[in-house]
Amino acid sequence: MSPLLASVGAETETAFTMPSINYYAIAPILILFGAAVVSVLVEAFVPQRGRRPVQLVIVVGSIVAALAVTIDLRGTRLVTGEGAIAVDGPTLLMWGALLVIGLLGALLMAERSIDPLGDAFAPRASALPGSEDEQEFTRRGFLQTEVWPFLLFALTGMLVFVASNDLLVMFVALEVMSLPLYLLAGMARRRRLLSQEAALKYFLLGAFSSAFFLYGAAMLYGFSGSVSLVAISDTLSAKTGEGSLVAIGIALLMVGLLFKVAAVPFHQWTPDVYQGAPTPVTGFMAATVKIAAFGALLRVLYVSLGGLRWDWEPMLWIIAALTMLVGSVVAITQTDIKRMLAYSSIAQAGFILVGVVAASPQGLASALFYLVAYAFTTIGTFAVITMVRDASGEATHLSKWAGLGKKSPVVAAVFSLFMLSLAGIPLTSGFVGKFGVFAAAIDSGNTWLVIVGVVASVIAAFFYVRVIVLMYFSDPTPDTASVVIPSAFTTIALTASAVMTIALGVFPQWLLDIITQAGVFIR
Amino acid sequence: MTDTVTDVNTGEQVVFWVCAILAVAGALGMVLSRKAVHSALWVALTMINLAILYIANSAPFLGMVQVIVYTGAVMMLFLFVLMVVGVDASDSLIETIKGQRLAAILLGLGLGILLVWGIGSGLVASPTVGLDAANDAYGGNVEGIANLIFTRYLLVFELTSALLITAAMGAMVLSHRDRWKEVASQRDLSIARFRSGVHPGNLPNPGVYARHNAVDTPAILPDGGTSDLSVPQPVRARGDERTLDQVDIDEVRQITEGSGE
Amino acid sequence: MTELMPAEGVFSLIWLLIALPLAGAAVLLVGGRRTNAWGPLLGVLTVSASAVLGIVMLLQMMQNSPEQRTFDQTLFSWVFVGGFQADMAFQLDQLSMVFVLLITIVGALIHVYSLGYMSHDRDKRKFFGYLNLFVAAMLILVLANNYLLLYVGWEGVGLASYLLIGFWQHKPSAAAAAKKAFVINRIGDVGMSLAIMLMFVTFGTVSFQGVFGVADQASEGTLNAIGLLLLLAACGKSAQFPLQAWLLDAMEGPTPVSALIHAATMVTAGVYLIARSNAIFDVATVAATTVVVVGVVTVFIGAIIGSAKDDIKKSLAGSTMSQIGYMIAAAGLGPIGYVFAIFHLLTHGVFKAGLFLGAGSVMHGMNDNVDMRRYGALRKVMIVTYVTFAAGWLSIMGIPPFSGFFSKDEIIHAAFEQSVLTGVLLIIGAGVTGFYMTRMFIMTFLGKARWEDDVHPHESPKVMTVPLVLLAIGSLFLGMALLYWGNIETWLEPVVGYEAGESPISTTASIALSLLAVGLGVLVAYLMYQRRAVPIEAPHGSWLTRAARNELYGNEVNDVLVVQPTYYTSRWLVWFDNKGVDGFVNGSAAFVGGLSGRMRRYQTGFARSYALSMVGGAVLVVLALVLVRAS
Repeated sequence: MSPLLASVGAETETAFTMPSINYYAIAPILILFGAAVVSVLVEAFVPQRGRRPVQLVIVVGSIVAALAVTIDLRGTRLVTGEGAIAVDGPTLLMWGALLVIGLLGALLMAERSIDPLGDAFAPRASALPGSEDEQEFTRRGFLQTEVWPFLLFALTGMLVFVASNDLLVMFVALEVMSLPLYLLAGMARRRRLLSQEAALKYFLLGAFSSAFFLYGAAMLYGFSGSVSLVAISDTLSAKTGEGSLVAIGIALLMVGLLFKVAAVPFHQWTPDVYQGAPTPVTGFMAATVKIAAFGALLRVLYVSLGGLRWDWEPMLWIIAALTMLVGSVVAITQTDIKRMLAYSSIAQAGFILVGVVAASPQGLASALFYLVAYAFTTIGTFAVITMVRDASGEATHLSKWAGLGKKSPVVAAVFSLFMLSLAGIPLTSGFVGKFGVFAAAIDSGNTWLVIVGVVASVIAAFFYVRVIVLMYFSDPTPDTASVVIPSAFTTIALTASAVMTIALGVFPQWLLDIITQAGVFIR
Repeated sequence: MTDTVTDVNTGEQVVFWVCAILAVAGALGMVLSRKAVHSALWVALTMINLAILYIANSAPFLGMVQVIVYTGAVMMLFLFVLMVVGVDASDSLIETIKGQRLAAILLGLGLGILLVWGIGSGLVASPTVGLDAANDAYGGNVEGIANLIFTRYLLVFELTSALLITAAMGAMVLSHRDRWKEVASQRDLSIARFRSGVHPGNLPNPGVYARHNAVDTPAILPDGGTSDLSVPQPVRARGDERTLDQVDIDEVRQITEGSGE
Repeated sequence: MTELMPAEGVFSLIWLLIALPLAGAAVLLVGGRRTNAWGPLLGVLTVSASAVLGIVMLLQMMQNSPEQRTFDQTLFSWVFVGGFQADMAFQLDQLSMVFVLLITIVGALIHVYSLGYMSHDRDKRKFFGYLNLFVAAMLILVLANNYLLLYVGWEGVGLASYLLIGFWQHKPSAAAAAKKAFVINRIGDVGMSLAIMLMFVTFGTVSFQGVFGVADQASEGTLNAIGLLLLLAACGKSAQFPLQAWLLDAMEGPTPVSALIHAATMVTAGVYLIARSNAIFDVATVAATTVVVVGVVTVFIGAIIGSAKDDIKKSLAGSTMSQIGYMIAAAGLGPIGYVFAIFHLLTHGVFKAGLFLGAGSVMHGMNDNVDMRRYGALRKVMIVTYVTFAAGWLSIMGIPPFSGFFSKDEIIHAAFEQSVLTGVLLIIGAGVTGFYMTRMFIMTFLGKARWEDDVHPHESPKVMTVPLVLLAIGSLFLGMALLYWGNIETWLEPVVGYEAGESPISTTASIALSLLAVGLGVLVAYLMYQRRAVPIEAPHGSWLTRAARNELYGNEVNDVLVVQPTYYTSRWLVWFDNKGVDGFVNGSAAFVGGLSGRMRRYQTGFARSYALSMVGGAVLVVLALVLVRAS
């Protein structure tokens, strides 16, 4: 009998048991997913003019609701969906961070009074750049409100990504998170060719990296007969000492994840995409993708591959060191502030990797703290960039920032604060974060990595401070950009991130307590 | 079907080698083709061969889905799009970055060798349980997949809908054009044509009395003059237009009177 | 072991010492133009109030027995994670007490002086805001009870110093100097952060009490490593060899800044750090010896630079470097030297501040000209400045009974106790000090007037001369007061330890020798600059003079060793990492010109080379894992 017939004519009926799903534990995901679907329907049925307010209510409402549930879930520690989703301390912490940052990102994206032409997005992404259509749409004040469902889908994907307890779930979540981001990256209102180019590159290379991830997952499946993180870990401890399959699997999986965190040598998309994407999207993406990707990376390494620590550590040492050094050094010669920050984000990824390689509860805690601190600072940084403009839009060339301290002292001061935090100067969140990861690394014996890290942070401090120097110690030129006074949306986002940057530097204890209580990943 | 699970019979071996070679050939063809249509067809070849391999591996459901969805739907959609865009479009395969191609080939080969070696040596060490054991766990191939989709991967299965929605909406956003001008009706177009002041109807035919090629002979207007419009622009531009006085009177007479020699 | 007292009574206000200037800085910097009118006065008031509070605390502290003079105030737990704890907590003991007094009292005087010196500056308010910020950060530095909080102050003073050096940003040289100070200081900070990490790993804590309590249990190698890293930090902050190059450029800042930050307080933070970490250096003998070597080398580098510079502020900066070299050397001597390092630090803080403010007063009268070759004969027109400068001059040379005599002499004597060579070298250094200070004094105040045509020197206003007079009085009496009335050794002994050693030569002999050396220096200077006319154009000079004018090529060395490699590495990496930079420059040009075709060519080109590098990375990652797994 052929296999085909065999399966059709099988006599034995296995009883189907309903999957047990704790719906409340995954309610944040469901809320966002549901809201995203509703928001798609809004696009279909609500008239053009009314869409924006409705979408804003849906986005803000759903994120706040999801956040409230997340807070209510604190202390939860379970695996649900038949082992597909793990809701534990780190998950909830990252959910909280993703939702708060997502909210701030949404506020930045909602800003409409900075650009005289409208929001940060093209009135119609389909109109050819520079065409008559485009001008007409701009004149009519069209808005591409599809950005809101995209935002919600991306957030949904991120929430699942950090909670996935299974490589297959993780892969789908990775795609759900990335696809909307590829689209958002290509929808800038100004410099649209650059933006579209960025989106295309991000898409192509992202797809390439996903392929690596999937290949790696297949190898691990081939080794262990399962894609569940726990099952892989169990097989690893049962079958020690064998398996080039495992090595290849881990390596390819790492390539996929390290691409998302922008580690060297998988980082080259970062500057192009950060520069090309609409700045609110860059801010949102830089902050949240870092959290999500590191969350997944940490879970894979700690839950699944913890037993193979000695195998993957050397590789991550080298990558962490390279990432810190290349990011810091190359940033020095950048002349575009968004590109510079892209390289800075690469360097920061290296610093977080230092915490990741520590492979200890302390390393996990320090990496989580660093991620949260970095996310707030980053979104604030890009919020400032949206406000610094000249006649042609955002003034991203560094020369246009000369003397900004004279023209707009408050904004320059806030930006300096962010730069100091990224440089890791004490009393800012960046310092506590850096100190945490370095201390964790030294604690697990990676002293030389810390030395590299400290050297890299010294180099990095140079280009951060160079911006401050430029703003304060140069006189304004006729080319100097001016700061546009934003509406409440950006003001709230900016204030929140500035307050968090200082708060986490001066009183980091409450967050450290939360992280300590969050504990480690559930197995 | 053999009882010893690790055995592979000759038929299976033949299927494997034929299909595997064809699948790899298809993949290479896809990369190396200059024309997009050819590439798409090569992919279809790979897909079909993979489908056969799936079926040979006791995964009939996957094999069929592969044929129906990928080869049948996705690839055909690809081809439609390519037809709309233009079948003739072909990409230049000239590499402009120095060393890129060599490096790509070397690294690709390197990765390939590593993977083949790794997987090869890894699989030798892995114990196999046989295909039937995998399928029988849930009472059959389709049942097995169904069980996984509706239990462990239920959430993920639902989540893939997010992907599809995003993709569909993304395609809309990137390609849907809002019309802000009234679409001109035939009547509007016709009015516009007459308003434009250009000759609205067909241009007059050339003179019809020539014996050989009349294109170069202008039509005679009722007033005895000639119409320049009746001679195509290129002919006029070359100066090949005949004038009335060049026309042989006898010839004209012969034609008009309709008599022979 | 000293007792740790809870901060009660007046000591519950330790936080206020810092909060006052910090609040001042906040009001001045955030308040904006509204505070222009009364802002500078507020700045003076906050620091003065801190000074008064400091004096009250000193009086209160003297009531307690020597073992009960360490007060600890914990505000809140700052960082506490995974066994690592650092508090926002302050510790006031005898060592931090003297620093508090130095910082607040000298700080207050310099604030007052700045009222006059900066009276015509548009950004006066901001200047006082930065000064307040500096005082607050410096107080955090000396009051911290753990290394992490000390590091906060350490970075804070760096930031304030950086802002103040570049205060006159319209001068490109000022901005460049600020940047240089920042970069070199960051190198020192590497040492600091690594030292803290290493301490945490070794001792599991970074609080002073915790670390010093168990310091002797760690291996000597570890302690030496920590010590050397701390020394690196100290070198950066205190402008010691080989990180000395920034201090001379820092003179681009306004003169009160040079007096407060780059002479009296911030640059001595390195000495504080070493004295504070005495428990580590007592055991880490290699590190301690290195400290002495660095100190002695810097004594000479500073003195030689000071001898050759014609710029009065840079010459004084060289002198500062050299004097801090004395302190560092003394601190490296161990328990026989710590108290004298601090002693000299205090007297130097006072007389060098006086000298700098005097130089500022001279510049004020000379249209901000700093070239000593265009001074001369100023004694007649600037009598107060002349007399007060003379007090500083005599004090720095170590002429009895001026303060410098007592402190420097104790250091030299202690150096002999350790090794004769160190002692002899320090005595020679004292001779060079005599030479360059006399040279400066003669060129400025004596001899013939070499003024530029449109300069009409005049005495500075009261608000500037009163601080000068007070500092001059300090230069005269502080040494005696601290040594005989204040018993500085016994005062500091519970904190840093003190033991008198065996000296190969008697106190009288070492005093005689150093006075002889100073006398020789003065004589040579007298012969060279008083007996002969000083040319307006600097003579070509010998190779040593030229090298000294070029700051012994410190900049060039830095350039070759640090700056150039970093720059070229970066350029190379950019080229290697991402040809997209150029591509984008061209690309945006193409965009502006509407040549999207060109753009598209770059676009596809780069995406595929990015993909290529990803494949390369993947191969390496796979290879790494497979190899590690196989091994």
